[in-house]
Amino acid sequence: MSRAFKLPLATLARGLLTMATTLACLLLVTFALSSLTPIDPALRALGDHASASAYTEMRHRLGLDAPWPQRFARYTGRLLHGDLGIAESTGQPVAEDLRHVFPATLELATLAMLVSAIAGLALGLLSAWRPRGVLDGVVRIVSLFGSSLPAFWLGLVALYFFYARLHWAGGPGRLDDAYEYTLDLDSGFVLLDTWRSGVPGAFANAWAHLALPVLVLAAYAVGQVTRMTRAALLSEAGKEYVTLARAKGARPARILVHHLLPNTRGLILTVLALTYASLLEGAVLVETVFAWPGVGRYLTTALLAADTAAILGATLVIGCSFVVINGLTDALVRALDPRLR
Amino acid sequence: MLGVLIAVVPAQAASPPGVLVIAQSLDDLVSLDPAEGFELSSVQTFTNVYQRLVQPDPDHPASLLPALASRWQADPGARSLTFELAADARFAGGNPVRPEDVIFSLSRAVKLNRAPVFILNELGWNAGNVDGALRKIDARHVRLSWDAPVGPALALNILTAPVASILDTRETLAHAVGEDLGNAWLRAHSAGSGPFKIRRYIPHEALVLDANPNAPGGAPRLQTIVIKNVTDAATRRLLVAVGDADIARDLGPDQIAALGQDSQVETLVFPSAMIDYLMFNTANPDNAALRNPALWEAARWLIDYDGIAAKLLRGEYFVHQAFLAQGFPGGLAATPYHLDIAKARSILAAAGIEPGLRITLDVINQPPYGDIALSLQASFAQAGITLEIVPELAGELYTKIRARNEQAVWLYWVPDYFDANSTASAFAANREDGTKTLAWRAGWRIPALSAATAAAATETDPATRIEDYLAIQREVQQRSPFVIAFQARNEVVLRKGIHGYREGLDADMVYYDRISK
Repeated sequence: MSRAFKLPLATLARGLLTMATTLACLLLVTFALSSLTPIDPALRALGDHASASAYTEMRHRLGLDAPWPQRFARYTGRLLHGDLGIAESTGQPVAEDLRHVFPATLELATLAMLVSAIAGLALGLLSAWRPRGVLDGVVRIVSLFGSSLPAFWLGLVALYFFYARLHWAGGPGRLDDAYEYTLDLDSGFVLLDTWRSGVPGAFANAWAHLALPVLVLAAYAVGQVTRMTRAALLSEAGKEYVTLARAKGARPARILVHHLLPNTRGLILTVLALTYASLLEGAVLVETVFAWPGVGRYLTTALLAADTAAILGATLVIGCSFVVINGLTDALVRALDPRLR
Repeated sequence: MLGVLIAVVPAQAASPPGVLVIAQSLDDLVSLDPAEGFELSSVQTFTNVYQRLVQPDPDHPASLLPALASRWQADPGARSLTFELAADARFAGGNPVRPEDVIFSLSRAVKLNRAPVFILNELGWNAGNVDGALRKIDARHVRLSWDAPVGPALALNILTAPVASILDTRETLAHAVGEDLGNAWLRAHSAGSGPFKIRRYIPHEALVLDANPNAPGGAPRLQTIVIKNVTDAATRRLLVAVGDADIARDLGPDQIAALGQDSQVETLVFPSAMIDYLMFNTANPDNAALRNPALWEAARWLIDYDGIAAKLLRGEYFVHQAFLAQGFPGGLAATPYHLDIAKARSILAAAGIEPGLRITLDVINQPPYGDIALSLQASFAQAGITLEIVPELAGELYTKIRARNEQAVWLYWVPDYFDANSTASAFAANREDGTKTLAWRAGWRIPALSAATAAAATETDPATRIEDYLAIQREVQQRSPFVIAFQARNEVVLRKGIHGYREGLDADMVYYDRISK
């Protein structure tokens, strides 16, 4: 085996080990925190009126009659066999729940990420083009608004105007009722499933329902990406090699494309990756306002119900997303930036 | 992106014809197995998907109507009931309803031993004896017997609870996995004989019901009911205002008020059996004043009942001061207490309770409980009592009161079945045998009242039984560590053109079969 082939394998193995360690620590901390909450999961599952025998039986079923380290060992043992357990808050296997809710969030977050990446980069460039100019001021105010307005408020206002008043966009939920319960959403990605169904109008309807939550979710991320892009470009623009390029008569567009962007892309990629990861787990309020059955809402409901299996399953999925996105970004940044190789 | 949408989105929204769309929160729903589900969303579904042997009349819930049983007869010793099954009763799948189905369903519920089983346990049934208590007489008759001190009237009412729903044995067992008696399958499917059957249940998203062609009394008027999980009340309001939902439930006073001017919707108001109360935990060793009946008495005069009902709860509740809700047979209508700071002060002074008393008050951190707690804090402060409000998640609060770790708590109560005993045995019975009734949680030792409550459960004369419960309610109203203050109303918003929606007092009394649009 050549040395060139060995190195990536070693890197991959190190990456996988890091990922496994990170997830194991994440699960351990989440399990410990779930166990320490002052909510009795058996009582939460049965309600307050349950008989003593039903209560005792439920505690046994949930494994609450064992100390938490022992329960954690049992959980990880099952996890290694691919069993995430049953979610007491839905009555269904956690894996089945996640197969349903994660694609909904992934679709929403990915589209929001695309919108915010395009808009954020464009606005960041515009803003950095003439710092402290009128355009810069406008972009900074807009991005500040985007990042500061509460998502639930923005969502409700958007629904009120664009759905209830103007009828420009679809309402809460992923599809109109005429399609929602007649189509098979096998993959969980509503755009893909409606496209494959061939039902006239279903695909357009899916877009109509996606538009508002995507834009509202993107509004926050746009502000973030814009401000970071602007800051990165301006910071780079103050360096000596840029001054030299200017002194040599290079045009601003050339400086931007050939010097500033290549030298800031690592940072911008990292910002985009972090924003994407936060969109994947932080869409709870948007999912609530738009009745979007995603993983953020699933996790919140599970937390309120002290449903340990569901909490751990959702945490695992979100944790995996973080690790995968970070890993990919890391690899991409290394590939693009020779200084890091 | 929005510009593109203008071209593809229809200008005016509306729910599909023949389909009733209901916007409400389904996040509470854990199971659609009647032996397991005990949440608001599940018990409302059971009424429309399953039948019991007898059921309350939707229009007059104090009267029982034949359902799967066409008639019934109590034995002279009042410890058994013999039911004759309706000749034409069929499950949605087409199988006839047999005595075996009754025996299987009730026995299964007891043996599964899940949340609502305590209702059937009141008959003395447990996993060891239930099979002996259920007997097939012939192809259409089944006899149910019990050992517990329960009269036939109470037994019949217990059998109206959703946990006593009758399942299609063959359908259920065809989907059983191991020893689960079909539980995993029934969590998301149905095997009943009610007006609807479950087409699809997607947790936290939607529940879709289809009309049952074999429904009792003919098929329902609408083919499909879609109950959408919309957890945000403001979003529910928008859905019904636009017309994408036909009915919106659980809107707050702000949403109801905002829809008041909309000519396309109307708000129906139904009294609910839910009551709100303040409870002092006399078993808490950290605060001796909690054991002083003068504090309980003063507290009755320290609640601004009318102000809270009118200004904070704005139509969602009304003043009610007895544990049986108005509308229940035997409900005590008297409301003798009102805000009277001077009277409360004099009661406290006479009992030697000095100003400066501090009490922690636990409340659920959801509207309207925080507002109610603030009002109590203000009025109690005028009598020299400092209430330290502790807002918590419901699960946290119940964990605390089950361990009797709280000092005072503001809570709500909903009866588990339509009989006075359901509530009386919680507020006015402390058997001190490990049963964690509300009276036990309050540390209220009441052997005589507990005996009276037990006697009322076996009383066979309806008029005497009502008198018994009136006396028990007066005792609780005047001398207990409970201060019962309000009864809830359910406000439901409907689009114009929706007819036939009915709701009863109890949580499960929601009827979709007569709705048309």
